[in-house]
Amino acid sequence: MRISKRSTLLLGVATAMLFATSGCSGGLLGGDDAGSDDTGPVKLAMVVPISGPSAPSGEYMSNAAQLAVDEINEAGGVLDGRQLELLVEDEACDAQQGVASANKAVSAGAVVSVGGYCSGATLPQLPIFEEANVPMIIPAANSQDLVKAGKKNVFLVNGTGNQQSNAALEYMLKTGVASVALVDDNDSYAVDITAETKRLIEEDGTITVALSTSVTPGESDYSAAVRDIMSANPELVYWTGYYQEGGLIINQLRNAGFTGQIMVADGSVDASISEIAGANAEGVLATMTQTPDTLEGGGDWIASYEDAFGSAPGPFSLQSYDAVRLAAHAIDEAGSTDGDAIIAALEAVDGFKMFSGPLTFTADHTLSSGGFVILSVQDGAFALEDDLS
Amino acid sequence: MTQIIWDGLFVGSFYALIALGYSMVYGIIKLLNFAHGDIYMLGAFIGFVMLTSMGGLPGALGIGALLVVLLVSMALTGGAGVLIERFAYRPLRKAPRLAVLITAVGVSFTLQYGVSAIMGSNPRSYPVRLEGDVFDVLGARISLPQVLLMAIAAILMISLNTYIQKTSTGRAMRSISLDMKGSLLMGINVNSVITRTFFIGSALAGAAGVMSGAYYGKIDFMMGFLIGLKAFTAAVIGGIGNIQGAMLGGLVLGLLEAFGASVFGGEWRDVFSFVVLILFLTLRPTGILGERVTERV
Repeated sequence: MRISKRSTLLLGVATAMLFATSGCSGGLLGGDDAGSDDTGPVKLAMVVPISGPSAPSGEYMSNAAQLAVDEINEAGGVLDGRQLELLVEDEACDAQQGVASANKAVSAGAVVSVGGYCSGATLPQLPIFEEANVPMIIPAANSQDLVKAGKKNVFLVNGTGNQQSNAALEYMLKTGVASVALVDDNDSYAVDITAETKRLIEEDGTITVALSTSVTPGESDYSAAVRDIMSANPELVYWTGYYQEGGLIINQLRNAGFTGQIMVADGSVDASISEIAGANAEGVLATMTQTPDTLEGGGDWIASYEDAFGSAPGPFSLQSYDAVRLAAHAIDEAGSTDGDAIIAALEAVDGFKMFSGPLTFTADHTLSSGGFVILSVQDGAFALEDDLS
Repeated sequence: MTQIIWDGLFVGSFYALIALGYSMVYGIIKLLNFAHGDIYMLGAFIGFVMLTSMGGLPGALGIGALLVVLLVSMALTGGAGVLIERFAYRPLRKAPRLAVLITAVGVSFTLQYGVSAIMGSNPRSYPVRLEGDVFDVLGARISLPQVLLMAIAAILMISLNTYIQKTSTGRAMRSISLDMKGSLLMGINVNSVITRTFFIGSALAGAAGVMSGAYYGKIDFMMGFLIGLKAFTAAVIGGIGNIQGAMLGGLVLGLLEAFGASVFGGEWRDVFSFVVLILFLTLRPTGILGERVTERV
């Protein structure tokens, strides 16, 4: 995302070439690959950020997925005794890298994809997995664009931008906020949430949008946005971008004397936000799906995660764990590793037990209920503020 | 209004510090040193490593420790600039201009991803923060750290100006920028003067890096990219190759951005400032203070 600015042209060319090659290999190998290997391990691809600014999230996700794989294998695997194998590839939050990794995973024979963190890097992977007829269960990326692509192999187990906007509005109404400022970083994911939130707020009519603005990511000085917010004087600021800029904006807003509430979207839910903004991050609200710390009864699960990896789980660990379990469930239901059969099995899932609640997919392959809650920073860490129920 | 001007001048002084390096190097060897923004990033990281390794000491010493770190970082980034010139640019001095330009882009990537490989790609938060009282001047909120940083930037720029105008090395720099071969024949040690130019330019960028880290609190390996482009723009606005022009250009760009953002909204800020830049350069291709460029050509 950040690197792409300099190499937009290069990236375009490279992506085009990769698309072309993936088209070829899918056509040649797609047919005989599925049937030829009936006894070996069933491979799941997980393309998540291992390098780049979002690397910590990638680790939370791949560890949790590995935990699910290990548990399933211990319990006898899938399809009467075949083991699951997790192929973790780097997404780097970069479209170019994501495409390369998706191609690598497809040619290694993955039958289901359980990765996808940055929407911008996940979106260009869709055609690659579609070409190879590999169902994608996306645990974190949740841009509306992923839904709009309308691919039949794409399933989102994280709430979408739309559902997040709904949660934001619900909380604003609940606490009686009169005016809000919406700020994004021009990224497709963030613009998506601001646009949707703005639409919902205006539809509802009780709250005024005092300001809707964008900043350029990758800078240090956000005094312009801060000045605009101060003069619009809203009761709540909703930042929908990622945490690097989020931390800076929170810090600069508070230093400029802003006393209203600040709310951030799930891209900014990261421990680094309170490192960057220091004490100024205290009390910052967030719209986020359940994390292990905020979930009732998540304690046992956290303990087994810590046991396996020596560190605590983080955002999107739960969704990744559930994505693997869902994949295994669908493969078993389908009775084969054939893409179409697995997709049919996923569509037929009804009330599959997940951390975020019983799962059933809607017609456009998103969750029937989003599971968004409100978190707030308390003593430097995100904790549950309001479960919106 | 006063707030807009103050914010613009504050950001502009960072642009100006970095723009100086661009302008000096261009003035003397006609090289667009695209690695210059990454020297700024390097300075921020050198400061970060020093402050972190001192443990709790900097917190106790406050501004004093920060000033020491600033000076050491300047010396080290200056050294890095000299090494880059010696090993990446000097061997290519007689090569076509484009070859050196691409080398500069290569150095830029090397610095970015070298730092990313060593320090990790996650953003780091600075161990020492500049915090201080905020006071109200004619309706603008001005904080003590901002005043301090602008004072440091002004001192650095004024001393540079004096150095270039009043000392023999400064005179040598100016003469090389007019005619390198002629200067060589007049007995000026061209290589040593170019080395000094790189040292000074890189040291200023390094200082800006440490100041940015201590003020904004967050650094990462890509932080030099965008500000490098902005500083390059500032150098061109002011008239590239011209020292006072670079300072002026930085402040002008900062003000343009601040006005653009408040009049047209944040998402139009860069559109506004660059449209103004294009219009301005159409009417006055040499920049605000660009006479020296025409003189050379």
